[in-house]
Amino acid sequence: MCIVVLIHMDASSLTIAPGAPEPIYRQIVEQVRRLIAGGQLPPGELMPSVREVAGFHAINPMTVSRAYSLLEGEGLLERLRGTGMAVAQSARSARPEAERMSLIEPRLHELARAARELELPASRVLRRLDQLLENGE
Amino acid sequence: MNAMLKISAGVAPLQACGICKRYDDRTALDTVDFALPEGAVLGLIGRNGAGKSTLIRALMGLIDVDAGNATVLGEPALAMSDAAKERLGYVPQDPDVLGWLRVDEMFALLRGQYPRWDQEFVEAQLARTLLPRDRALGRLSPGERQQVALIRALAVQPSLLVLDEPAAALDPVARRDLLREIALRAGESGTSVLFSTHIVSDLERVASHVAFLHQGRLLLQAPMDDLKERYARLWLPSRVAPPRIVGEISRRPQQAFGGWSLVVEQIDGHWPEATQQPGARLETLGLEDLFVEIAE
Repeated sequence: MCIVVLIHMDASSLTIAPGAPEPIYRQIVEQVRRLIAGGQLPPGELMPSVREVAGFHAINPMTVSRAYSLLEGEGLLERLRGTGMAVAQSARSARPEAERMSLIEPRLHELARAARELELPASRVLRRLDQLLENGE
Repeated sequence: MNAMLKISAGVAPLQACGICKRYDDRTALDTVDFALPEGAVLGLIGRNGAGKSTLIRALMGLIDVDAGNATVLGEPALAMSDAAKERLGYVPQDPDVLGWLRVDEMFALLRGQYPRWDQEFVEAQLARTLLPRDRALGRLSPGERQQVALIRALAVQPSLLVLDEPAAALDPVARRDLLREIALRAGESGTSVLFSTHIVSDLERVASHVAFLHQGRLLLQAPMDDLKERYARLWLPSRVAPPRIVGEISRRPQQAFGGWSLVVEQIDGHWPEATQQPGARLETLGLEDLFVEIAE
């Protein structure tokens, strides 16, 4: 049994870390990808406008447009006739677990490497990860 | 690095070629080539004294340079037409003001001079920022003075906006508001923006392009996303200085690590061969780290 929490998407649903080595457009692309793959963003869900996202996070609108265009190119978002973007009807939500795992795989590798470099015991890292997954904090 | 200076189409709103400037025995600018692509928000970053203000003044045609030339909106910086000046919004680091003039009087005066003046914007900003309309400009705090200068520059609805350390005197809230305004102007009105700063986090949010100025030389100029994706730190374990490698931007010895750290650039989508050496490790860099590596 899997419970999917649907979220209403607005600009604040996106987390932007301007200082991260990962460019902001990729942060957006990957978050939206994950939310769609996880089924939290169902087909038809309206995305916040470029202006809303740019204004809320004080980031460059071109960065947001770039992210949306890439997601459109992947078939995950579609442009609505009026204005705006929505999760594409063809973007089947709640992808199989194996596919969702593949999205998180690179981060797990990074985490494992860092843990090895710091010589942290696996049990300790897993316990903390468990906490984070359960409570979010 | 020259490849990055190529601009897509048309004349860049702001361009400089081979700018040199000396003050007595000090070189302030050393053969700077620079281009602000149309519609870009370019963050000019560098440590204090790197030459940021001198470069901006040279670009604006406000100082004589020893060599090179600059164009603003397609016209020579030293001989700009009135039409070009009307499309330019420029805020120097310490805006000059007529001390006795009141805030509202100044805006009333300017309103008649600029055909595209946006009084609605001025009113909205004055209401939001709680600036005292009836106070003489000379009696404003440095932060308030900077805000007035920024409102003035934006009210012109410029095609080109040039801001020298615009966030320096602003509090965090005013700073975020300014960044938001800059970003939206660029995105929606196609305004091209050049702003200088030594605060990396300001730039990371809104800049589409970054230029690094260090000791009077422009070390890097690239789209922001490229900088994050195409530059990385390479750790090389080696007691002796490693031979210079293709794609190397800077290097420094790292005693604690027992080797060297280099900033390297991807060439044609590939990292330099040295990244394959035994013990070598490649690490992605945030802008702050990149800046520190290069400016050390």
